Amino acid sequence: MFAWNELRGFEMTEYPVRRNPKKILGVVAIIIILVVASYGILTFWKPRFVVYTYSSFMDWGDERAEAVLERAFAPFEEKYEIDIDFVILQTDANTMVSRLNAEAANPIADVVIGIDNILILQEATRNVLEPYESPMLSLINETYINALDPEHYLTPFDFGLVTLIYSMDTINTTTHPQLDNLTLADLATPELASSLVTEDPRFSSPGLAFLLSQIAISEEFTGENWTEWWETVQGNIDVKEGWTEAWIDWSSDQNKHLLVSYGTDPAYSAQELGTAPDTAIAPFHYEGSDWAWMQVEGVGLVKNAPHPDLAKAFIDYCLNATVQSEIPLNQWMFPVRTDLTLPSVYDYAIHPDEVSILNTLLDRVEIAENLQTWLDLYIDAMTPG
Amino acid sequence: MVKQDYRTCIVLTLPIILLLVFLVYPVMSVIISGLVSASGSSFVDTISSDETQFTISFTVIQASLSTILAVLVGVPGAMLLARLKFRGKSLIRALIIVPFVLPPIVVVIGFLQMFGSYGIIDTALMSITQSTTSIFNLAEGFTGIILAHTFYNAPLVMLLVSAAMERLNPEIEESAEILGADSFSRFRRITLPHILPALLASAILTFLFCFMSFPIVLALGGSTYNTIEIQMWNAFRTPDRGGEVSSLALIQIVITISLAITYIKLSRGTDNQSGPTTTIHTVSISKYKKWEKVAILTYLFSILILVGGPIAAIFRAAFFDPVTQRYSLDGFSYLITLGSEGGIQPLINSLFYGGMATLLAVTIGIPLAYSHRSKARGLSTLSSVMILLPLGISSITVAYGLLIAIAVPTGLNINPWPIIVIAQTIFGVPFTARAIEIGLKNIDPNILDQADSLGSSRLQRLLYVELPLLIPSILVGAVFAFAMAIGEMSATLFIALPQNYTLAVAIYDNLGVRRFVEAGASALILVVICVVAFLAMEKLSEGSIGGTL
Repeated sequence: MFAWNELRGFEMTEYPVRRNPKKILGVVAIIIILVVASYGILTFWKPRFVVYTYSSFMDWGDERAEAVLERAFAPFEEKYEIDIDFVILQTDANTMVSRLNAEAANPIADVVIGIDNILILQEATRNVLEPYESPMLSLINETYINALDPEHYLTPFDFGLVTLIYSMDTINTTTHPQLDNLTLADLATPELASSLVTEDPRFSSPGLAFLLSQIAISEEFTGENWTEWWETVQGNIDVKEGWTEAWIDWSSDQNKHLLVSYGTDPAYSAQELGTAPDTAIAPFHYEGSDWAWMQVEGVGLVKNAPHPDLAKAFIDYCLNATVQSEIPLNQWMFPVRTDLTLPSVYDYAIHPDEVSILNTLLDRVEIAENLQTWLDLYIDAMTPG
Repeated sequence: MVKQDYRTCIVLTLPIILLLVFLVYPVMSVIISGLVSASGSSFVDTISSDETQFTISFTVIQASLSTILAVLVGVPGAMLLARLKFRGKSLIRALIIVPFVLPPIVVVIGFLQMFGSYGIIDTALMSITQSTTSIFNLAEGFTGIILAHTFYNAPLVMLLVSAAMERLNPEIEESAEILGADSFSRFRRITLPHILPALLASAILTFLFCFMSFPIVLALGGSTYNTIEIQMWNAFRTPDRGGEVSSLALIQIVITISLAITYIKLSRGTDNQSGPTTTIHTVSISKYKKWEKVAILTYLFSILILVGGPIAAIFRAAFFDPVTQRYSLDGFSYLITLGSEGGIQPLINSLFYGGMATLLAVTIGIPLAYSHRSKARGLSTLSSVMILLPLGISSITVAYGLLIAIAVPTGLNINPWPIIVIAQTIFGVPFTARAIEIGLKNIDPNILDQADSLGSSRLQRLLYVELPLLIPSILVGAVFAFAMAIGEMSATLFIALPQNYTLAVAIYDNLGVRRFVEAGASALILVVICVVAFLAMEKLSEGSIGGTL
């Protein structure tokens, strides 16, 4: 007992008295809580009107997408006294649907822009959308409504023609006369196949459009089993994940001449260069006419959206001339409002009346029923070994 | 006393409960819901498809090759690092770990810029041969993947093995030398057996990382080469393939967990060998024979190109715009631009999420390390399982699970930053827990007894005796956790809305729209943050990085 007291005394003289550890822990905890709370308050997400869209939406013009969207939608925001929150998901349209599915129990988005006429055929897509028939539909050609979705899960927003393009700096119709009336057989030759860049049909809408074009042509014109073509080109053809990656590859690698892209690319090229374009189009040519795939993108109302009435008004507003006239030079697609005047560079683009539409060869029911099988067959054909 | 035990018990089990709620439950719910409500293909369909089998064999083959190469490149470096005496050794050591903590997306940039077509080497070769087209491209396909993995993991092998080597008792070597053993037999009979456990552990860890590799294979592999992780991500992104996601997650977890268990077993084996006090006999380079010097210099030069090259290329990428072929400071003006078009918000997010995650990972790691060392057998096993689980579960699975099982039901998906912090914490916990556990083991029990006999309470002993002694280990773990968090991309990309984007995600984002200097400058900032953090830690903890992993 004595020794114990002496030890205590020793401690008191030699060491400073330690503060109560609980106090220190308390202070640390309070500081952390304050920091977290202030960050939380600063970034607190005010309930807003949310529009989901994919990356690069309206981002291909001279200005950044933000400025374009602000100009196009400011009148709508003023009228309804709201702020529209464009949530630009860094993904493709497929992942947007996956995200909406993941959030289906408690959705935060009101509207989604960018689902196209193939993706809407999937049940998973229709599960997260609510049909809405906009009164503004009377302003647009019925072709686009029927091509996109006669059931009105989606309202047409813009459209484009998916086709092959090539850079005139590296090849032309003199060196490669087959570019003038291109067939799948031409493309399958090692020379052209190894210079072709396309996109993965599982994740990229132009890539899928190309696959469906190829299937449609095989069924209708060549009568071949379509998977054989892919087995022939496998190893030569360059399949990139998405359109952006494919474009980068095509524009930076001088051995890549052909790209699966859009019929507006020559117009884009002319706009960028300020002169005649250096990009040309090589659509498939069968039975005396050129063929291209039509992609129609739509805007849809999210099922159980937090603000359904605003969402409907927003969808109506999307067909307004203010919004539609921003599409050509920022999205490089055609506005579905065909009554609007197109910029003069669009003279270089191919227009829907100049080609036959491949979609007419594959009906919606057939695609919906077979899409998964086709993709599996495609993967099998493209898996080495 | 009973009350004390009861409290200790709560503190020790709390992290395990947290990990059960935020890791095991979400992941299980992903797997089970996918397998039960199987939309799309079932488990049998998935595993028997050609695609899956090709994916699995490719995953294994690339991981094995990458591991072999990383070991071959790493071991000589480890020996030099341990043996050679030179100035600035701690700086070199801190720099070596940089590739390992770099965000994979940054590695991709550096790699493409160095070894890709029109990269630094290619440009040089083109100007030598007067060629106008690209003639050299090692950054694509199979070669690119293997090389990038080697770049990534060779430093890991170097650090782990050199840490083990440094603990080699010089007396054993001296005795062998006196007894007439030449340098080769000294290596075979003494050094090799000594470093073997560390070598195997680092090989398994490398294999594990390559096995789960995501951004590198995604960026360099094109669509031909898929790892299990990528096929899973692909299946997630294709509507109606939920069953496949779950099946692949299950296959992956079974493989990685068995590897992780092997790793923990092996690293246990190293624990009881020579103490941390013995240090290997070091020599300066002038002591080597001429041919040895040549070999060493050749090796250092190749390492400089393989490991230093991509990092230097990142530096160039921050200033050089490959589109306009001009040098510009746009990347840095982007980094100081406010608003949604600027880099300040992502930078703040990165630091805040990373800081929070590190704090949490340390807070969870301390009790986890204690319970790992606890005498209660069940608790110890449970905690070691919890420590290794995050190493074996892919970030995509974790992110998907957190989104479905935690974020959406609680409505946090509106502003999901807490979910991002949780995900990053989970990936940091193995590093903090393990570093602290090693620190705990090295505490002299006599000191603790003295504290007890001087009458300190349990909390006082923890706060004033144990934690100060643990500070070096805590720092090591914290810096690793921070580096993991700040470089994490896949899970953050998965969970985040644009207002939550971190710098790593912003890099990916900028790359996608060809804003290369912006991506390069952001990558450079990440490199600088990691290097500074490691240098600071190296100073404070006196070089105990190697033991952490």
